[in-house]
Amino acid sequence: MTEDDPDAGLAERRGVDEAVVYQPAEDSGLLAEAAVAEAHGRVLEVGTGSGWVAQRVAEERGLDVVGSDLNPHAARQARERGVEGVVADLLSPFRADAFDTVCFNPPYLPTDPDNEWDDWMEHALSGGESGRELIEPFLDDVGRVLAPGGVVLLLVSSLTGYDEVLDLVEDAGFDHEVVVEESFPFETLTVLRLERRA
Amino acid sequence: MKESLMDVVCCPLDKADLDLDVDDRDDEEILAGTLTCTECGEAYPIEDGIPNLLPPDMREEAA
Repeated sequence: MTEDDPDAGLAERRGVDEAVVYQPAEDSGLLAEAAVAEAHGRVLEVGTGSGWVAQRVAEERGLDVVGSDLNPHAARQARERGVEGVVADLLSPFRADAFDTVCFNPPYLPTDPDNEWDDWMEHALSGGESGRELIEPFLDDVGRVLAPGGVVLLLVSSLTGYDEVLDLVEDAGFDHEVVVEESFPFETLTVLRLERRA
Repeated sequence: MKESLMDVVCCPLDKADLDLDVDDRDDEEILAGTLTCTECGEAYPIEDGIPNLLPPDMREEAA
């Protein structure tokens, strides 16, 4: 990555942002559908990317939504959509009990370590060798930031291993139900609604 | 960032409260400033209205 020129024009900067930020796709559409239906209270979208899902929840439900991303270009795009953008590593800078709803469309493609691209788009797509390298730490920590009665909306692809993700969900102390599911030629996408086990 | 974000953020290293120093703001938002951990003293920049709350080692990489 080269340094951003602070004097660059907005149009140019927007061009760079779009080239290095994951743009809405089928998975985003499915997560938005689930989140608009299920979100309540204060909302966090982890890995917000372009901010499109967060914006839909904010506008269609009138909720306060924070969009966080590792990628500063993504946080900027989310901000341009009117979402509160934060540059963050997963859930690390968020307080205990802070959110009623946490949404996450994780980078989930299993990636051969010898074949990683090491750029922003890879961060947005790759879930490491297992496809679950970000899902595990996310599930380990999300219970901390959830307020009592809070829900997690997690997008899972069959490419990531549905049953393996359900095991991680179980281990992290959550019950799950399927909110929406859709099959595509190469994968089935599911949005799970997680709640702390009673 | 809106001032209300202070209700939900903390230091990514030790989860302690952050102090807000504002350098520039408009009617709605803080555009530039610094968030400083009340426990470990680590400072996190707010630039163009966006706080960067990456742990310092990751912030270098992501610059």
